[in-house]
Amino acid sequence: MTAPWTPMRWPDAWKDPRMLDLLKGTAIDHLVIGMGAELSAVRSRAAQGGLHVSAPGAPPVGVEIVKGEWPGVKMERAGGGAGAGPTGNPWVDSNGWAIRLAAALHPESAVWVDAAPAGNAFITAGSYLIAVADSAAYGGRWIVSLDNSLATSLAAGKSDALATWKRLAAAAGFFAAHKAWPAYAPMAVVGVVSGFTGENEFFSQELLNLLARAGQHCRILPKGGITDASLVSLRAAIYADADPPAPALRKRILAFVEAGGMLIAPPTWGEVPGTPIRDGGNPRYSMRALGKGKVAVAVAGRDDPYLWANESIVMVSHRYDLVRFWNSGAAGSFCTVAPDGRQAVAHLLFYAYRGPDSATVRIAGVYRAVRAYTADNPAATKVEWAPQTGAVEIHLPPVPQYVALELDI
Amino acid sequence: MWNAAAALAGASLARAAAPTAPVSVARCKTYDPAELVPTMRKMFDQLGGLGRLVKGKTVAIKINLTGSPTYRLGYLPLEDTHYTHPHVIAAAAHLMAEAGARRIRLLESPWATADPIEEYLLRANWEPRDILGAAPNVEFENTNYLGSGKKYSRLTVPFGGYVFPAFDLNHSYADCDVFVSLTKMKEHATAGITLAMKNCFGLTPCTIYGTGAGIDEPSETPHGGRTTVHAGDRQPSKSAPPEKDPRSPRQDTWRVPRTVVDLVAARPVHLAIVEGIKTMTGGEGPWIPVEQKLVAPGVMVAGLNPVSTDAVAMAVMGFDPMADRGTPPFERCDSTLKLAEEAGVGTRDLKRIEVAGASIAEVKFDFAAIRRQRRAAPPRPFGIRG
Repeated sequence: MTAPWTPMRWPDAWKDPRMLDLLKGTAIDHLVIGMGAELSAVRSRAAQGGLHVSAPGAPPVGVEIVKGEWPGVKMERAGGGAGAGPTGNPWVDSNGWAIRLAAALHPESAVWVDAAPAGNAFITAGSYLIAVADSAAYGGRWIVSLDNSLATSLAAGKSDALATWKRLAAAAGFFAAHKAWPAYAPMAVVGVVSGFTGENEFFSQELLNLLARAGQHCRILPKGGITDASLVSLRAAIYADADPPAPALRKRILAFVEAGGMLIAPPTWGEVPGTPIRDGGNPRYSMRALGKGKVAVAVAGRDDPYLWANESIVMVSHRYDLVRFWNSGAAGSFCTVAPDGRQAVAHLLFYAYRGPDSATVRIAGVYRAVRAYTADNPAATKVEWAPQTGAVEIHLPPVPQYVALELDI
Repeated sequence: MWNAAAALAGASLARAAAPTAPVSVARCKTYDPAELVPTMRKMFDQLGGLGRLVKGKTVAIKINLTGSPTYRLGYLPLEDTHYTHPHVIAAAAHLMAEAGARRIRLLESPWATADPIEEYLLRANWEPRDILGAAPNVEFENTNYLGSGKKYSRLTVPFGGYVFPAFDLNHSYADCDVFVSLTKMKEHATAGITLAMKNCFGLTPCTIYGTGAGIDEPSETPHGGRTTVHAGDRQPSKSAPPEKDPRSPRQDTWRVPRTVVDLVAARPVHLAIVEGIKTMTGGEGPWIPVEQKLVAPGVMVAGLNPVSTDAVAMAVMGFDPMADRGTPPFERCDSTLKLAEEAGVGTRDLKRIEVAGASIAEVKFDFAAIRRQRRAAPPRPFGIRG
């Protein structure tokens, strides 16, 4: 995955090319500008200034567009509080899973997220930070899209708007300065195997969404491209499709189980070898032991992706959590490892209106050193950390909504 | 006037009639098994020996894992502040097995989940195998829902109950010979203190008594907390016995102490263990919005009657177990101990309780003084950043 550009959707109201001066010194280097004649001067001057320019709906070659959600804690209508999922946890909208799916389906492409604020929304600087980080942490790029109020205030040169812009630009610049990160390999506990299209599209994609909401780290495995390497280091594979796997894929996944992995599958998977396990712990699944591993077949089939997501996490076990948070509020994370295997990066996202005061995070793995970075302060921040058995525990000072932890392996 | 005098006389009679049992008190400064296990063994010996209580029996131990496992007081591990420490749980299980217990079942109704307790512990950063491995016959059950039972067990309150005449609980609270309440020594925002009796508030499954309980039948899985009991804003699922009087006060400071007494009367506690080696001040968990501190009283209290054990533990905390509503730690709530005493569960009168081991004065850790200081200070801003 690559991220060669930092894109921005040019506000239609900015007809004066002098507004391009705002971009000087920022990482924004690709403008998506409307095709109206009133913006032709902007298009010309942008191109003359060395900026890449494209039209809405016509991304450059090598870019996949993900139609995303405005990331954050979902608020209820009529000024109510934060919405909650069935377990009572805050309901977080994130585009991370969709970015990773696009990357899995188009590994050579960059992924841009098109998620504009609602027309009448007032967006805080912190919310813009989340919008930038929620895409960039997962290797994508949010198409910077300003709310109408901010665009108008910036055009008027208002100082509070400029402060918000500065913070947004700093966040975009932070990720642009870490161009190598999108190429880092994601760490995962479970693999989700699907074609992700057709009759399997809803269930498989909703499963990815809900697994991410529950904090599970997934490797997305399109059915057509699975090799022996695809399943390496995973604890489990979830086969999410209604149709049975092709014989070669079936053989490969069962070999993974025999070596100690777990397969979670619908009954359409077909006959499962191995011996029945009498009390498998969850009556919704028929369990069988196979080699060193287990197969869990959902008795009711692909009935509810929410249940599948949350039950799979317990069946796999929190023992293998890559990341655990304390005092984080609504949080998300994405962990990657450098191609040379010498460094890992854990992206931590806190979706509330501000970052936590005293969060603790536990990252699975053995590490020699930990450094924290925030988009506001690209210099490393000192953090207290302590090794645990097979993990490190890090005590974060008061932080903004995004923190990157660099961990030396 | 006559009524008040009669009530007073009645209360005195109830106090005199309430059963008593010895309570053991010990200094224990660390969670190091080398100190913890012999300390607890000696305490149980002072109570007449564990074998007499558990040999050949199924023992159910209600532990205290209140609140979400992802919520800490600052950076502190949960076991140092508000969860029963895993070493204490493991030591208790080890000693029970050593004394001949046939089966040891560790029970809790964890926050808003039907997940196995082992998974809940992992989220708290504990290793459940350390507890399961403490003896050959240890197991967990999540009692916040039906669990592994085929149906809920109805446990009746022998004295008729203050709020509830009976409860429908997870089968584990009926399918045991010996019931143990193993808890942390803490203050409590609603009930003043949380010791062996208050720990039993968590017996109630949220599928019946919780925010998301089913209306007619229990829900399949628990959602949210126990507002049904706290606020009385609704009745339990219709399949369970309703409150005796739906017009009774709806204040949690009235309802929670009474419901706790109903529970300990319905599910008698054979052994109460209060762990105060390390704990927190200011409430039962880090979500209570007052100044809270990690403290290390270095003390354990155990007894065969939960009211007497809690009375001694209260005294160790610097509180008067005879305190009534309006007096610390019951400034704004009723005293669970007084209500339990009046219901004939046990005495809170220190003059009637035999204390073995260390004296109360020797191990006293003055929560009461910290409480006075805290309550005299202006309220703190919320969060570090105010």
